[in-house]
Amino acid sequence: MMLRTPPPKRPRDNIPIVESPPTASDRRLVIYEDPSPLAGPDSSHGPSDHMLCTYQCRQMVKADFFDALDNAEKQVREYQSKLEELNENFLKAEAERKKFRDQFLQTEQELAAAKGREEALKEQLLKEVHDSQERLRKQIQTCSELEVKFRNEMNLRLKAESAAISAEEKATLLEGKLSHLSDSIEREKKHFNNELIQLKRESKFSVSRISADLERMECRANNAEKESELLKEQLEDLKKQLNESLHQKGEVEKNLSNFTFQESTSTESTILVKHLQEEIRNYVSWVSDALVQWIMPMSVRYYIVMHVNDLSVKRKMEPKVPTHLQLEVKAFTSCRSSKITPILARTGACDGACDIYEAEVREARKLKSSHENIDLLKEKLLEEKGRKEKAELELSKLQEVQQSMNKLEDELSSWKSLMKDIPGVSCSEDIPVKFAALQKEVIDSMMKLGETNAQLKKMEVALDDAQLGKRNAETEGALAKEKAEVSESEVKRIKLTVIIGLADRVLQLSVVTEERDKLRNVVNEIKKSKNDDGGNETANQTLIQELESSLSKKDCFIAELESNLREQQETNRRQRVEIELLNERLNNEARRIKSLERESDRLRSEISLLEAKKARTYQLLNTIKLGHGDFSSANTKVLRMVNTLAVDNEAKQTIEALQTELQKTKEKLQAVEELKSQSGDSGKLVDSYISGKILQLKEQIATLEKREERYKTVFADRISVFRRACCELFGYKIVMDENQRPNGIPVTRFTLQSIYAQSDDEKLEFEYESGNTNIMANEYTSQREISRQIEIFIRKMNSIPAFTANLTVESFNRRTLS
Amino acid sequence: MASKTIAKDIITLRGSAAIVSEFFGYAANSILYNRGVYPEESFVKVKKYGLPMLLTQDDGVKSFIANLTAQLSEWLEAGKLQRVVLVIMSKATGEVLERWNFSIETDGEVVEKGVSREKSDKEIMREIQAIMRQIASSITYLPCLDDSCVFDVLAYTDTDVAVPFTWTESDPKLIANPQMVKLHSFDTKIHKVDTLVSYKNDEWDEQ
Repeated sequence: MMLRTPPPKRPRDNIPIVESPPTASDRRLVIYEDPSPLAGPDSSHGPSDHMLCTYQCRQMVKADFFDALDNAEKQVREYQSKLEELNENFLKAEAERKKFRDQFLQTEQELAAAKGREEALKEQLLKEVHDSQERLRKQIQTCSELEVKFRNEMNLRLKAESAAISAEEKATLLEGKLSHLSDSIEREKKHFNNELIQLKRESKFSVSRISADLERMECRANNAEKESELLKEQLEDLKKQLNESLHQKGEVEKNLSNFTFQESTSTESTILVKHLQEEIRNYVSWVSDALVQWIMPMSVRYYIVMHVNDLSVKRKMEPKVPTHLQLEVKAFTSCRSSKITPILARTGACDGACDIYEAEVREARKLKSSHENIDLLKEKLLEEKGRKEKAELELSKLQEVQQSMNKLEDELSSWKSLMKDIPGVSCSEDIPVKFAALQKEVIDSMMKLGETNAQLKKMEVALDDAQLGKRNAETEGALAKEKAEVSESEVKRIKLTVIIGLADRVLQLSVVTEERDKLRNVVNEIKKSKNDDGGNETANQTLIQELESSLSKKDCFIAELESNLREQQETNRRQRVEIELLNERLNNEARRIKSLERESDRLRSEISLLEAKKARTYQLLNTIKLGHGDFSSANTKVLRMVNTLAVDNEAKQTIEALQTELQKTKEKLQAVEELKSQSGDSGKLVDSYISGKILQLKEQIATLEKREERYKTVFADRISVFRRACCELFGYKIVMDENQRPNGIPVTRFTLQSIYAQSDDEKLEFEYESGNTNIMANEYTSQREISRQIEIFIRKMNSIPAFTANLTVESFNRRTLS
Repeated sequence: MASKTIAKDIITLRGSAAIVSEFFGYAANSILYNRGVYPEESFVKVKKYGLPMLLTQDDGVKSFIANLTAQLSEWLEAGKLQRVVLVIMSKATGEVLERWNFSIETDGEVVEKGVSREKSDKEIMREIQAIMRQIASSITYLPCLDDSCVFDVLAYTDTDVAVPFTWTESDPKLIANPQMVKLHSFDTKIHKVDTLVSYKNDEWDEQ
């Protein structure tokens, strides 16, 4: 059979490929048994062949044809798959295009968003700029206001300085006045003192003089009164004598008339006249003598008084002796000239008495004038007294002045002490300088304070701004980071997609070109075959046209894809540029964030320092507050727990003392009992009492013991119930025992045995000590599984109940499963 | 299991009050032992706060401290306690020699709203341990108590607290011009206890 296979089969391999297109294009199966359709074309070529064809040949041809058909079908399928592939590619490309378009749109949107953001940022920046400008303007305004204030302050300061200077001048003036006043006061004081002394002296002198004068005048007045009385008496005598003489004269005249009538008595009358004349002469001589006797001293005195008056008027003392002598001489001369001589001249006459009377009147007038003088002197005395009073008033004033002076001196001393207290001041002139310096210092410090305050405020404002900026920047940074991340991922994605797209494109291109080439080849071959067998022309032409159209479509598609690719590349480039820009911005933002972070770190450190300081001061304050134990009674009250421990101690001590006493008495009792046993029944009474007491106590003890027993049994019942219940409920028998460690600390040990335990060794031991429970290591717990569970439940999760429960469940499972 | 571990870290007002009042009991015992107010042989060792602590066996003192801690716990739960002061005085003269000051700040929100806070027992125990160590080491700098002494406990409470039967109002028993040493503090997140010991200035030091 193998030999029978014809050798030209191999070169025919190509034929079916050439022949297949019509079948492929027809998509019709040609059945061998039906030779009619094939007969037509075959008959035209070579009916002899057909006719010669043996069965084998026919079979061969059939096989060839089937092969060719298969090939054609395969090709058709391939083409179909290729077409589908191309369609798929086309769809893919379209999808990609859509995707790219979407991406493009997305990027455009992003761009628009970025622009919007940029605009928003610009607006924000503009706003910030506006705000800052407004702030600047405000600050400038405040600055100008502050300058105005500063100027005002300066003016005020200048005014204050000028006021201070004027005040200082006034002070100096006042000081000068004070010194002047003190000088003048001292001077006046001295002057007044001198005047006072002089006045005192003068007043003493004048008083003494006046008193002497007064005495003298009084003496003189007394004398004058006495004299006047005497003179009056004499006058009366003289009057009487005159009356007598007149009476005698009348009688004489009567006698004379009688005598003339009688003429007889003429001789007698002449004798009588003679006698009478003699008598009259005697009388006159007597009167003159008497007058001489008392008129002399009077005149002398008168002159003395006159002289004294003159003296008092003149206030000048004259030498005494010559004046006395002169006075006496004057008195004598005046007496002789003015008084005594007329009197003596009138002695011869009876009318001389009248003259004497007139002289007396003159004397009286003189006396009156002396009285007036006395009044004058009195007035002068009053004047002197007034002056004295004035001087006293002046003295009181002087005291006041002295007081004021003392006050001023005190003030001066206080000022001096103050001056001493002020450091760097040696004299009063330094004080204003010091004041000025201090004022300057104060002003400087105030200015500094203001400056520091302003700086602080600025700092605070800057801090606030920085914090705001930081926050903004942080948010911006976060946004930018996010954006950057997104854009980076996008870029990566885009790159990937671009690369994939490019690769796809390239592949597609290559595929398409290959396909095109293949198609061209096919066309060419078809054309050739057309040339070979022009029968298929019409069918092939349509196919060719279709293919060409598809080719042209593909070309168009390729061109489109290429243009798309270019566009993509462009957009890619643009995006890259944008990304670079964004990256730059991101870097800037990152730098800004870093600087802000640094600033914030610095501020944070400052804040932490300040807070630490605050905390320290607060702690200090707290410590002080705490330590002292002060409290405000408004919201706190102090309570004390009544402590009877000291009292208890005392009670204990007394109890101990009593016990010792009791012991002693017991000993004594024993001794007594011993004695009693020795001495017989003497203490039976006491013994019975004690035994009764003992019995009573024993009964008590018995009842108490019974009760204890009962309690014990009840407790045992209850505890067993409790244990059983625990065992039933939790699945563990629990045994408790107390231990003591070597260091004396009491420890309670619990041994747990599960009711599902398979052996007696399955025991868990726990130590309970002041609230802490620890598991003890033993054989059972050192098993791998148990130790693992202990590790997990007790060490890690810190739960013993979970461990025991888990163990219960496990042993239960083991029991029931086994 | 998980709920158990979470439950460990949550602290309630009652739990906090219990911890603080227990702390006062142990602190009082420790002070009485370390300052020699009661004889050494009347104390026994127990383990607490990871330290060997000494507890008095004197029945009077025991019952006194038990009553004290019970009352303090009550006040702490009500949030009425501001401060507890253990005063050590000379028995002969009654002069105040030392004041052990435990000032308490209570979280008002917990008392009012009954919310709970989170803090692990271990952390609180560690803080208390530090204070106990400081109390034990305080004998190194506190002046010697030569005379026999007695102690007294003062509680600074809110004014609206009714005075219990075993308590009376008292003066604060202050020390004039005291020396102060601040010890550690502990915080249960509900009660914060600041410890401070103030004592009488030693005249020898001043000279």
